[in-house]
Amino acid sequence: MEALPLHFQLDVPFPCSTEAQIAHNSLSPDAEPRKGGVSRTLSVQDNVLSVHWQADEARILRVSVGSFLEHLSLVVRTMDRFGPALSDS
Amino acid sequence: MTIVIGFEGSANKIGVGIIQDGKVLSNPRRTYITPPGQGFLPSDTARHHRSCVLEVLHEALEEAKIQPKDIDCVAYTKGPGMGAPLVSVAIVARTVAQLWKKPLLGVNHCIGHIEMGRLITGAENPTVLYVSGGNTQVISYSEHRYRIFGETIDIAVGNCLDRFARVLKIPNDPSPGYNIEQMAKKGKKFVELPYTVKGMDVSFSGILSYIEDMAHKMLSSGECTPEDLCFSLQETLFAMLVEITERAMAHCGSQEVLIVGGVGCNVRLQEMMEIMCKERSAKLFATDERFCIDNGAMIAQAGWEMFRSGHMTPLEDSWITQRYRTDEVEVTWRD
Repeated sequence: MEALPLHFQLDVPFPCSTEAQIAHNSLSPDAEPRKGGVSRTLSVQDNVLSVHWQADEARILRVSVGSFLEHLSLVVRTMDRFGPALSDS
Repeated sequence: MTIVIGFEGSANKIGVGIIQDGKVLSNPRRTYITPPGQGFLPSDTARHHRSCVLEVLHEALEEAKIQPKDIDCVAYTKGPGMGAPLVSVAIVARTVAQLWKKPLLGVNHCIGHIEMGRLITGAENPTVLYVSGGNTQVISYSEHRYRIFGETIDIAVGNCLDRFARVLKIPNDPSPGYNIEQMAKKGKKFVELPYTVKGMDVSFSGILSYIEDMAHKMLSSGECTPEDLCFSLQETLFAMLVEITERAMAHCGSQEVLIVGGVGCNVRLQEMMEIMCKERSAKLFATDERFCIDNGAMIAQAGWEMFRSGHMTPLEDSWITQRYRTDEVEVTWRD
């Protein structure tokens, strides 16, 4: 069976664009493992963080999405506890 | 006045420390402890760190009695270490750096150990023995680099001890190495083990295989006790480390030794190193478990030095890396 590339799209609304941008910057730097058969792209539009995955195998896609959600949850908890963002000093 | 907060989570400890101009304001830490016979796996360790990093951060700020606005720089471990735990901690560092509008700084974990050891002991220019669960290196400073004179060619000395503890089901609480050290004090018989120094380097995997193979046979036949094995393993491993440290000192004409890393708080290792130092009229510097074992303050301290000499890590370059050698970092803060 010839497998088609799999896609997954996630849109996460934040209370404001600053928070969406912070989440984007915190979650972007670590790329998916080399030649892992999965790619992930992040972007921000207003207050929405959008993530798009493309993968060869469902198993790899599931692991990548699962781990991203854990990290996203950590960012949100960090903002809840240590936010809101300070004004420029 | 410069205040730096440091996040560390490259192995099974998660720590957040705050340093203000050479003073440790706070340094709380939690350890992920697995049942006897089991090691810590990356994903479980990362989950542990994610579950308590915010609590540890809160504790660090409370104890230091400072506000986020007082902080000048947010330092975190860039590597080396286990990928999943490193990422989890880096994500929190990146998020608070943005919330608080502070510069971010990725720190080499090994450099963190060295700078913390120098700060606490006041050693000026020591030959450094860095021994932990993941690293074994003899290091000397020259021309703006911490240069690796010798290292393990396979597993770290602490990994050898940890895995031996698993064979005998020695508890991992507070750490396998600590429990081996206590048992070794009651050892009476020295069991000869392979001794593998290769020039300036050491090898521990063969010793581990050997002792894994013979331990159960010798124990069931009553030839020796678990305490004897702990004693023999420590004596053998530490003799190798003292030998390469002494050779590095001879090369560099160094009269100071600094022991850092988790295995560095082993008192027997410190005793053996002290004997060698006495013979050479050199001085030994070591710290206790608060600063030897991975902690946040060591990352804050290395971060403090780096920040003061102009380093910063842009967010987009703040990726973590499992491999990051000590000599990759240009030491701009020393002459």
